[in-house]
Amino acid sequence: MSQPLSGQRILIVEDESLVAMLLETILEDMGCTPVGPAANIDEGLKLATEESPLHAALLDVNVAGRQVFPVAEALKARGVPFVFSTGYGEGGLPDEWRGQHTIQKPFTEAAVRDALMAAMGVAQV
Amino acid sequence: MRELAKSGGLPVDLASAFDASPNPYVLLTPDLRIAGLNQAYLDVTRSTRETTIGRPLFAAFDSGPGAEAPENVRQVRASLEKARDTGQRDHLAVVNFSISHTDEAGNTVFEERVWSATHTPVLDDAGQVVFLLQHTTDITELQRLRALAAASGEGNALDLLGGAVIGRAQAVQADNQRLETERNQLVEMFMQAPGFVTILSGPEHVFQMHNATYAQLIGHRAITGKVIREALPELEGQGYFEFLDTVYETGEPHEGRGSKVQLQRTPDGPLETVYLNFIYQPIRDSAGKVAGIFVQGYDVTDTVAAVERQKLMIDELNHRVKNTLATVQSIAVQTARSHTDPKTFAEGFQARLLALSHTHDLLTRSHWEGADLRAILEHETEAHGPHRISLNGAPVGLGPAAALSLGMIFHELATNAAKYGALSAPEGRVLIDWGVADQTRPVLHLTWRELDGPPVTPPTRRGFGSRLIERNVRHDLAGEVKLEYATSGFTAEFMVPLDREKSE
Repeated sequence: MSQPLSGQRILIVEDESLVAMLLETILEDMGCTPVGPAANIDEGLKLATEESPLHAALLDVNVAGRQVFPVAEALKARGVPFVFSTGYGEGGLPDEWRGQHTIQKPFTEAAVRDALMAAMGVAQV
Repeated sequence: MRELAKSGGLPVDLASAFDASPNPYVLLTPDLRIAGLNQAYLDVTRSTRETTIGRPLFAAFDSGPGAEAPENVRQVRASLEKARDTGQRDHLAVVNFSISHTDEAGNTVFEERVWSATHTPVLDDAGQVVFLLQHTTDITELQRLRALAAASGEGNALDLLGGAVIGRAQAVQADNQRLETERNQLVEMFMQAPGFVTILSGPEHVFQMHNATYAQLIGHRAITGKVIREALPELEGQGYFEFLDTVYETGEPHEGRGSKVQLQRTPDGPLETVYLNFIYQPIRDSAGKVAGIFVQGYDVTDTVAAVERQKLMIDELNHRVKNTLATVQSIAVQTARSHTDPKTFAEGFQARLLALSHTHDLLTRSHWEGADLRAILEHETEAHGPHRISLNGAPVGLGPAAALSLGMIFHELATNAAKYGALSAPEGRVLIDWGVADQTRPVLHLTWRELDGPPVTPPTRRGFGSRLIERNVRHDLAGEVKLEYATSGFTAEFMVPLDREKSE
């Protein structure tokens, strides 16, 4: 299998270390370099603004009791594509973020890869 | 009276008595046609059986062409219909009704008369109204005498009256008292109603009266006699004035369910949000025109809040379940990477799953408020023999997230100790000491020290267990951990802040 995302640096914002470790494993298997993982919004914001290069991000919606949207705003401002991951259903996102690429927990490696590729506009191979 | 006996089915002797009575009677069918009348009635109304029997009452007697005639007819009809519809006797103490006769020249002349009437329903065995009996007395003279007496100040004209009219007046009086009592009871019920009730009158919705519950709802403001837009100005823009206007204009009731209302319930206080079930019911006057609005309802704020809370809890539960599944998924994936043998994978995976499950049990017992550190440690180490594990420390309460993390961490430490560390040798022991330092914020200091085990060699590669420990402490607990592989025994030192979950 080819590795269309090889070499991409992907930010992870996720408060549960085990879930973050799973995402890192999945990203590493795809040839990506995980950035972070950030366990809270402040850390996520810092990485989202300062880390370079940054090609995409995986954002848990509810991070240690806070919502991840400030980090999403910062990424949007930089033009860095991102994918939300959430344990809430489809209705878990507020209206202004509806339609964003989203993966539902628990997720498969294929779901993570497809969502990232769609968000980054990388053609399926 | 034979006509009546035939048409009404009255016994012949009763029919005779009816006809012979000096009191004027007319017997009507329920659709107000004349079934029979007695001689006294014919005399007083100057009519004949031929022109009346079988005809509608108000065709036979229409009160003439005067301007007041329709109103006179309406009053008599209303009293008859009331007697018919309620099955109760109804009284008309005074009613004007013109009677016609033919004068010497052959012209029809109408004469204004004043009457006092009683309408009595006649019921069949099944309790159905089969006839209405009207007993009427011409009191034109009496009214004239009363007017004279009032003008001259002499005597009481009532003294001149016969028994029938006095009795009727007394009956009317009694009726009025009964109505007054009923009205008072209704007002009492209105005031004591568990829901809120108020009556608004006119197109501007002026508060006429309201009950205690309504007063409480609006913070005991003085509203009686005020138009609603002045009495409750904070409702502007919330849509309720418009609903009232529409009900008043269309006469259609408006119902609200769980409607959000912001009200000023304390003077100068903030607006408070309440949720109400209510109905705006139009009140009509005797002509059928909307004259006011009856407002009735209940405060359902608690119910709405409970439903909202339940929805939030279900969302939160779903979130937690999905996160837990993701955690389990991670455990499965990571465990699989360090086991090539499916059998050892299954053992390792199940043991981790059970450690997670047990911490859930502890948390469930406290309704997810937290768990005690010692209880978690005891569970994760008891399989290795309590005499080999030494637990020293005061009780420490852990929040749910810290409890789940430390449960996983102690499980990994105990498993490692049993596989490679002190618990893999018969004499090996583990000393676990902890305390909480509380300078500016409480921090848990915990040491896991293994003794008397086989000589320790640092691992050549970091397994899932040690990665999980390091990551979990730093990432989930915002703490620090030092893992030392001294030859004499493995040591782990933890520093974990305990006040994180409260601030989140």
